Amino acid sequence: MIFRDTLRMAVQDVRSHGSRSLLTVLGIIIGVAAVVLMTGVGKSMEGVILGQINTLGPTTIALWPGANGPEGGGGAFNADYKSITMRDIDALKQLQSVTSVAPIIIISEPASYGREKADASVTGTTPDYYNNGSIEVTSGRFHDQSDEQGVRPVAVIGSDIERDLFNGQDPLGKRIDIGGRRYTVIGVLKSVGTQFFQNMDTRIIIPFATAKAVKQRDYVDMATMLATGDIDFSVADVEYLLRKRHNVVSPISDPTKNDDFLVRTAQQAQDILGTVSLALTIFITMIASVSLVVGGIGIMNIMLVSVTERTREIGLRKALGATQWNILMQFLVEAVVVTVLGALIGVVIGILFDAIIVFVASRFLSTYHFGLNPIAITISVLMAIGVGLGFGLYPARKAAILDPITALRYE
Amino acid sequence: MTPPRHDTPLIETIHMDKSYFNDGLETPVLHDINLTINKGEFVAIMGPSGSGKSTLMHILGFLDHPTGGKFLFQGEPTESMDEDTLAKIRASSVSFVFQSFNLLPRTSVLENVTLPLLYHPTIPVSQRHRRAVTAIETVGLMERMNYMSHQLSGGQKQRVAIARSLVTEPEVIFADEPTGNLDSHSGIQVMEALQKLHHKGHTIILVTHEAMTAEHAQRIIQIHDGRITADRRDFRRRIAGRESTLK
Repeated sequence: MIFRDTLRMAVQDVRSHGSRSLLTVLGIIIGVAAVVLMTGVGKSMEGVILGQINTLGPTTIALWPGANGPEGGGGAFNADYKSITMRDIDALKQLQSVTSVAPIIIISEPASYGREKADASVTGTTPDYYNNGSIEVTSGRFHDQSDEQGVRPVAVIGSDIERDLFNGQDPLGKRIDIGGRRYTVIGVLKSVGTQFFQNMDTRIIIPFATAKAVKQRDYVDMATMLATGDIDFSVADVEYLLRKRHNVVSPISDPTKNDDFLVRTAQQAQDILGTVSLALTIFITMIASVSLVVGGIGIMNIMLVSVTERTREIGLRKALGATQWNILMQFLVEAVVVTVLGALIGVVIGILFDAIIVFVASRFLSTYHFGLNPIAITISVLMAIGVGLGFGLYPARKAAILDPITALRYE
Repeated sequence: MTPPRHDTPLIETIHMDKSYFNDGLETPVLHDINLTINKGEFVAIMGPSGSGKSTLMHILGFLDHPTGGKFLFQGEPTESMDEDTLAKIRASSVSFVFQSFNLLPRTSVLENVTLPLLYHPTIPVSQRHRRAVTAIETVGLMERMNYMSHQLSGGQKQRVAIARSLVTEPEVIFADEPTGNLDSHSGIQVMEALQKLHHKGHTIILVTHEAMTAEHAQRIIQIHDGRITADRRDFRRRIAGRESTLK
């Protein structure tokens, strides 16, 4: 008996039980599709996040109050969200190792123009901010030092805000309303998508001095700056300064233990995201593998039914000279063929749904692109084959050791 | 085909016994079977149902094992053969025609006849088609070669089964009540097909409880309550049978 015969027989049998075969592998299809879809989405998200980090540039350093920064929820979710004060910012500006220190105050108020409203993220920051994130304007200008000194109510708006509020009109010189105050639009930002977990295109930038006057507070929500030399040295310098100023003492074994702030470079953020995305991939694959095991039990059930149904056929084949190995292989190959088929259908369905998500998500997130995780797909398909082999073995063995006479007489 | 040699014992049993065991309870089926069947013979094993004739055929066809005595096949003792050796003998040296045809459903005549060749240890893939076609030709079903098995009449199905049994050119063909599920006309056709094989030199062992069917054989072994009660060779009948086929 040659393998080609076994394979042909298996394919024939799977085809002759079309809908039953499909139901048998439903678990496998769902499991594999889930892995393909979820890891694909993960990959796309990674692309979105990595893309924004890259636009920040290799020398950008971000500083957040609170020990966990944005990874712990950020802002007021941190107990010590007031930890970075204007005096800290002034001290940072004195450091040789960093330049272009841009403090940030976030104002959570909707923006409106006439009847049009937009959910904006109002960011009060200094002109240095534009340097730190390679931000450009498509029309008008950035705000400058004279706007800061004059505490002027001017605004540079993101491209989504322009679309939502002005709908084709020229926004320059128009006065928009933010939290009951009026601001004159002086520039429109070029679309860049998301930076540091916030969609830059829905952002409105106002002078830091103006934001500070509105919020009447002395602490900041974030700061960005650029390293002048070696970035690791700059980070250490910033950390040293802040620990000294905040009287933070941590054990040598864990120097960041008692920090009430968080410093991150683009590279660090990228590494963390890499780790997170790997953990996520493993997590998703593990969940999906439960589905594969359940699918495997389904296969075992149907194969057992198939063996019972075909007992006479098995008897006949044995009477015609089939060895135990021939029969074992026939049923095992059939189980594997059915699972491979299911896995392939799962891959196709997963890619299809991934594409649908890309189609929808890219309308909201311009940097969201189609992504697939080939390693996760390969692993899930291999696992499916393994499941087919593993759960097909018991029914196949049961068929193989049938006594020819008993099998032939089976009714 | 070389002329049959009647001097070589193809099958030999010496004081062979068979009992079934159910929950430790012994049910004897065959007692002290002493039998010699030579190559080229056409033997009918006759007996009422429950006499043990099917069990005897299953043992001689390597589907079952004796529980006592000896069973020699081509002079070789069989009791120590392992599963794979038995499978090899079933694939190449013996074949079966069953009462209920046992064709694969949803499968063509050609594929059904090819089936034993898949398990044959030596026949190359390239010869399969030619051999299958020759076998189908022998039973006169060339024009039905690509029919599905369920599209055939009972008699045609049994002729497909005969083609399947001779496609590997086995030493011996076992036919277990081959006409049992057929009308008398189809039954005669099937028996004529077996006669034809016999005249070509095949060894045929027929199991039946019908005297009319057994008449086609040259030798009739009567079995009753698990014992051989008669073993008759009737050359006149054999010659008469041959004449009736030649007519």
